[in-house]
Amino acid sequence: MDIIRTIAQIGIIILFYLVGEYIVSITGIIIPGSIVGLVLLWLSLYFKILNVKFIQKGASFMLAFLTLFFIPSTVAVINYPELLTVSGGLLILAVIISTILALVITGKVSRIIEEKEKQKKEGEHVTASSAKSIYHK
Amino acid sequence: MLPQVLLSLFIISSTVLLFVLLNKLYLKIGNPFLLPILTVTCITVAVLLIFNIPYETYMEGGQWLSKMLGPAVVALAFPLYNQRDIIFKYKYSIIISIIVAMLAGLISVVAFLLLFGSSKAFIYTSLPKSLTTPVAMQVSDLIGGIPPLTVVLVMVAGFTGAILGPVLFKVFKIDTAISRGVAMGSASHGVGLTKLKEYSEEDLSIGSLSMGLSAVVGAFIIPLISFYFI
Repeated sequence: MDIIRTIAQIGIIILFYLVGEYIVSITGIIIPGSIVGLVLLWLSLYFKILNVKFIQKGASFMLAFLTLFFIPSTVAVINYPELLTVSGGLLILAVIISTILALVITGKVSRIIEEKEKQKKEGEHVTASSAKSIYHK
Repeated sequence: MLPQVLLSLFIISSTVLLFVLLNKLYLKIGNPFLLPILTVTCITVAVLLIFNIPYETYMEGGQWLSKMLGPAVVALAFPLYNQRDIIFKYKYSIIISIIVAMLAGLISVVAFLLLFGSSKAFIYTSLPKSLTTPVAMQVSDLIGGIPPLTVVLVMVAGFTGAILGPVLFKVFKIDTAISRGVAMGSASHGVGLTKLKEYSEEDLSIGSLSMGLSAVVGAFIIPLISFYFI
């Protein structure tokens, strides 16, 4: 029974994928159809159009095998020996430096926003307590 | 006809078996260098090279697994739905930081590749590097990159975060669960997350949320940038 339920739920997810692909093909927007399907599924869950019970088994099953599904495409690296040339090396170097920059800049920006929000909250707290003390007088 | 069907079935079942076994090994030890995407890919490539099997023959079976990639990406809506409370709790810091991460990553990688005189195909290939692998491949395919090379770069971005992340966090005083989680999740996706586990549960959940959101944001922004600016 569990197997049938999981397969049916995978069917529902595939349906969202096909709708996403269809929307991309008729509107010509440049986004992967799978992402359109993801957004539609999230919205359906969030607005309670679809109960999460109807997809959670199927979704968990597919996510457990997510890596398996892209291995065949990754193996295609066999057809690209230019990765082992100088320009391939520079490509990898650019990605390393860019990732370091993204990590540091993002971490710092997020830290500053967090600090600002904290100060704002503390500020509110101070005005609230001083208002209270005025009230007490 | 029959031998072809048998060949396909053999390729599919041996790939599945290899994946299940090596995934078990990874879950037991938890070292990012044992991630099945690395181990299974390397072993498969080695087998194809040793026995002189063309990639096209392997894809007779492999294509059936690839067909499930799109629906599996849709299934990512499930964890993102489960994390909806965190999204609303930290909405400003998470959303602003994800966009900052995306722009910092995109601008810097394009700048370096232009400086190095790389080809346009390589630039397109590098743009989705910070996204989670399945989404990165689909975006790469869409904008005219080379998806298997994009996967290599996605792994490079992931390992850069997993190996250098903790040092960078220390030096630059990035010392809260939100800042570490957002930085790692949006720059180094799932591979980086393996390192976040060592900080706290909160680091990990903010990291995986940032990874999911930045995949969605990237799938919208990267095609736009590649069509209008490069």
